[in-house]
Formats: sequence, structure tokens, C-alpha cells
Amino acid sequence: MEMKYNKVTDEVLKDLRGIVGEENVLTDKETIKLYSSDEAPIGLEATAEVVVKPKCTDEVSDILSLANEKMIPVTPRGQGTGLCNGAVPVYGGILLSLERMNRILEIDEDNLMAVVEAGVVLSDLRLEVERRGLFYPADPGERTSFIGGNIGTNAGGMNGVKYGKTRDYVLGLEAVLPNGKVLNLGGKVVKRSMGYDLMHLIIGSEGTLAVVTKAILKLIRLPKIFITLYVPFSNMYDAAKSVSEILREKVTPTAIELVEREVILEAENRLGKRMPHHDADAYLIIRIDGDKEEELYGDAEAVSEICLSNNAVDVLVADTKERQSVIWDIRSVFYEAIVKSREADIVDAAIPPSKMPLYIERIKKISDEYGVKILSYGHAGDGNIHVHPIKDGLSDEEWNEKLPKVMMKLYSEAKNLGGVVSGEHGIGWTKKKYLPICLDKEEIRIMKEIKKIFDPNNILNPGKIFDA
Amino acid sequence: MHGCGLKIIVCVKQVPATTEVEIDSERGTLIREGVESTINPFDLYAVEEAVRLKERYGGEITAISMGPPQAESSLREALAMGCDRAVLLTDKVFAGADTLATAYTLACGIRKIGTYDIIICGLKTTDGDTGQVGPGLAEELGIPHVSYVRRIHLFMDGQIVLERTLDDVYEKVRVHMPCLITVTKEINEPRLPSLKRKLWARKAQIKILRAEDLGGEADRFGLNGSPTRVVKVFNPPPRLGGRLIKGEPDMLADEILKKLVELNVL
Repeated sequence: MEMKYNKVTDEVLKDLRGIVGEENVLTDKETIKLYSSDEAPIGLEATAEVVVKPKCTDEVSDILSLANEKMIPVTPRGQGTGLCNGAVPVYGGILLSLERMNRILEIDEDNLMAVVEAGVVLSDLRLEVERRGLFYPADPGERTSFIGGNIGTNAGGMNGVKYGKTRDYVLGLEAVLPNGKVLNLGGKVVKRSMGYDLMHLIIGSEGTLAVVTKAILKLIRLPKIFITLYVPFSNMYDAAKSVSEILREKVTPTAIELVEREVILEAENRLGKRMPHHDADAYLIIRIDGDKEEELYGDAEAVSEICLSNNAVDVLVADTKERQSVIWDIRSVFYEAIVKSREADIVDAAIPPSKMPLYIERIKKISDEYGVKILSYGHAGDGNIHVHPIKDGLSDEEWNEKLPKVMMKLYSEAKNLGGVVSGEHGIGWTKKKYLPICLDKEEIRIMKEIKKIFDPNNILNPGKIFDA
Repeated sequence: MHGCGLKIIVCVKQVPATTEVEIDSERGTLIREGVESTINPFDLYAVEEAVRLKERYGGEITAISMGPPQAESSLREALAMGCDRAVLLTDKVFAGADTLATAYTLACGIRKIGTYDIIICGLKTTDGDTGQVGPGLAEELGIPHVSYVRRIHLFMDGQIVLERTLDDVYEKVRVHMPCLITVTKEINEPRLPSLKRKLWARKAQIKILRAEDLGGEADRFGLNGSPTRVVKVFNPPPRLGGRLIKGEPDMLADEILKKLVELNVL
């Protein structure tokens, strides 16, 4: 589709400077380049024409009105930790960085809610609420991300098994439409039934419908105790099989992560820390939380029985903060350990959790069939697995020829098992071609119509999710 | 070394789990109330080394600690990792002990335990940070000690060969048993206990010894037996902000080089 956008002229720059101030309009080529990519394993050659850093909702509103009037594309950006080129300004234009909107406005201890600006860093929010004995459980592993970005992708992560994903913790949003109008959706209410839920429509819309500027988030009480089980298995299949059996128990762990040995070794090297066990081919990392130690260990025992009956080599337990954080710190660098040292891609499939052992088998089959190495790990407890085809040992030609086939096959197999093409990373630019695997034409048509209503000029993060 | 393997004693201490401990400036001691505590991280390496020795040579490991009743949780951690039994020296009169009184009290406790081949301590604790209790304990017991041990090479004829870390060299030392060693973090990688053992350790019996059980000289316990006093506790003065140099890389390199030469660093 041909895009009829206008360039950012000197006149537009002048207007932008008038809105946010001289120092918050960046035109230096190097700086713009830094803002024009995210952490997708395979990036795009695209750069914005200008980076603009508003401080408040009014400024966001003025910028969008201006861009809408001048037909200039605007790409909202959080911390750029996305994995699908979702924050990459593929049509140039304005890169709207929300980094200065980073205030935690309120922590409402009476209602267990937090009101934050979109540029608040997730780890900052977590620390701030934990200091008050509260907990914001939506945790996409990458905690340097912004809350705004978490909302844009409906980020999931480690705690999904027990606590769900970002969407489950958003009670209200302030969002700016491309025409500059400000929507206040939801609020400090737990229940709400008033027509179409535009707030939930905006969550997960990857900045294509409106720019989220503020959010009201639900908090819960911080569980008093956490323990982590580190469970070695001699193969991925047995580990995956244990997961589906654990989920059938009345125990609900906070997190159940599945990983193969090679990923752990690379993550250890990257971080310079060591896991407590190395000799097994696959591992489950299970976190259990609660308030009563007796109950917690009872749950741990139940989980342990299941693992051992599925041939776990042993069940190790970490209960101090330090020893647990070594494990989870290593866990948090799996992604970069795989992609930063070599060429690799990533599949973010989510399947029914009980189908995980089957999917693991199929991944292995695909790897053998195409002769492409594949490393996997993921949030097995909620059926979300990250599968990395890896270039190791292949020539450029072979890689370029095989990768698209392998990717398509991995997604199709997920779909065949009742799964979806993105569990938590979103579609962005990169996964547009896989969306039709899962969504039928009518669903995509409705999405496109919705996009038109919110953004008739298609200036907001164009080229993402689908071509409008 | 006896026919039935090694008799090993490991000393452990309960310390605050955080490094941000408040200080009671009147008494010059750490305020431990309300602070989450944990086994001294260095002691994990001592316990691990003991368990490895036992796995290799057979024998029995006793973990010992002096501290308040809650210190038993550190002993349970040691049991979970593979120690066979645990002894807690706890009594109000032990409170306020400095390194000398602590070493004395532990020595009394160890004499009650009976014979041993080797005593293993962590290099130091993360709260006191002195590294004196291990060597002090060896002196009290009248046995040789080797500190900063990074590797145990071999056991033979009642002797061990050890490698210790000094400032810029490693030193190989042969020592007769019974002896005491303090170990560094280089020596091993502490294991995570298995859940099964952890569950056992949570319920295991811990032997409690009080002052009266130890015998010993009453005036050598606790505050009374402590010749050192903390006179004053204060924070080091905050560092003054350095000078920020801005500019192009080449210019920066020149600036920094000039400064380093000026300061006689280079």
C-alpha cells in the first residue's frame, strides 16, 4: 500500500520545539538512529526524521494534532525492549519517546492501585510498591521496560501461571487519539460494564490506536515468602510433561519456566553467574509464593512428587533471596544470551499448556527435518514458549532459504495444536505475515475498520500488526 | 583420619540478609531485630566443602553455631546441604561477644562434641567482616590453622595439602590434622539442597547447648569475655562528586591521561 506521508520540514520542527522545548526535539543523526530500533533479533533499516520527548499529556496531544494535520507518521516508543520491531519508525516521521513521562503519580494503598505515567520503568514501579508490602505481578522478565510498552503489547512473562498478564492489572488508561483528543478510560473501579470496552481495545494495540499516557494499575499484597525449585530432567519432553501434570494439581506456582541446558550455559557465560546444577539436558524452574511456610513446602512437595514421577533427576530448592536471585537473574538473560552472540530468530507461540510435550516433539522434528538448530525455553506454565531457530553451521544462503520455512512451520504447528502466533511479544512489523495463520479474514477486516475509526489518516505507528 | 572416614566440624553464623543494616549507635552493635536473616554466605562454601569431603572420604559432619535461638535456621540450611547433625550454642550470657569471646565459646562447644579431624569455617562473615573467629578458634583449641584456603589437594597420613590465596601468589601448605581451615569463595560452588533433604532438615533435631552445659569460664563468655569494645560507629564521609569532563573521545582521552600523570597514577 502506498503511503502518502509528508516529511518533517523545518517548519514542523519549529512547531515541535514550540511544544516540547528546544532540548526535547532531537535531530542528530546518531541519536535518531539509537531511537529507531528495538531489540528484535532481526532488525529493520528504518530511521525517524526527528525524536520528540514530551513531558505531559497536553504536549502529546499537541504533537499528535500537528502530525495528524500535516500527515506525518508518529511512532510511540517506550524503552525499545520489544522483539518485533513494533517501535521502529518504518515510515520515518516523528519518533515519540515517552521517557520523560516517568512519574509514579500515586500509590493508593486504600484501593491497592497505582497511578503511573507511561514512561515509568517497570522495575522502578515494582520497587516502589514492594517497599509498601504491595506487588505488581505483571512481569515480562525484561524489567527495564516501560509500563506504556507493557500495555501496548499486553506483556506477559514469568508470573502468568498464577497472576496473568498486563491486561489483568490495568483498570484505567489515559490515551491520546491521533486527532489530539484525550480519552479517559476505565478508572479506579474494579468492576465496570458500560458498552464496548475501549480500554481493553487499546491494551495490546501496540500504539496503533492511541498513545497511552497514564495508567491506573491494580496491585496485590506482596506474598511473604517465595521459594524456587530447580528441577533437572534428562530431556525436554519429561520436563514439559511434568508441567501439564503440575497444572492439574491444586497447587498453582507463580511461575513455571522450561529451558534446555545449552541455553543455561550460554546465559551463565553472559552473566558470569552459575546455576546450581549443570549435568541435565532440561530444567524446570518453578517459583511458588505464599504467606505460610508450611503450606509452601507442602505445595513444593506435591510439585516435587510429580517431577520425580516424570523422571526428574532431583528437585533442588532455593529459599534465600540471594540463591533465588542467582537463578532468576540467569533466567532473565536467556533471550540475549541466545541472540546477541549469533544470528537467530524467535517464535513466541502460545499453545494450550497440556500440548507442550507434543509441541516440544514437533520442534525437534522440524529441527531435524530442516537441519536447523533450534533452542527453546519459555513460560511453560502458561503454554508460552520461545523457540529460537539458530544459524550456527549454516551458510548465509542456507539460512536465508531455510529460516522462513522453519518459522512458518513452527507457527503452523503451534496453530495446529490450538495455539497462537504471539503469546506476549505482539505482532509489530515482524510477525504481520504470520497473523493470518491464526486470525480469519473477517477478524482482520474488523480490526482494520477499528483502526480507521481511531486513526483515519493512518499516522499512528503505521505498518504495524497489519497494513491498514 | 580414622577407619570410619573424616570427622568434620563446620562453623556457621546467622547474619542479616541485607547489607543495609541499621546500627545502634549507643551500643555500637547492629540492630538485628526485624531484619531478615540468612546463613552467612561465606559459610555456604565451608558447608559445601565439608559435604564434598564427606562424599569423597566418608565420615560425619557436625554443624555448629553460636547465636540466638533463631540461628537454628542457619543450621537447618547446613543440614539440608548435607551435614549430619547440628549443635546450637545459645544463651543470654553469650550475647555481645566479640571475636575472642565467640572463638572461646565455640571452642567450648567443640570440646563437648568430641574428637574431630578438621574444622571448616567460612573466610569471614558479611556482618562482622573480621575473619578472626576461625583463627581465634584454632588458637583456643591449640590446633594449627590455615586461612584463605582455595583448594584442598589431598589427604594422606594424617596430613592435608592445601592451597591458599595470598595477595599475589598461591601458597601450598601441608598441615597436620586435626586442624582448622577458613575457605574462600573460590573453593567450590555451593549446592542447592534437594527438596527431600530440605524437608528432613526442617524437622531435624538440633542439639542445644547453654552456658552451663559448656562448663568453661563464665567471665570469658559474651560481653564480659570481650576485651574489644566498639567505641563509636559512624558512616564514612560521603565521597565528593568527581569532576565531569565532557567532550569528544580524543579530547577526553588526552584530558584523562593528563590528569592521571598529574596524579602520579601513571
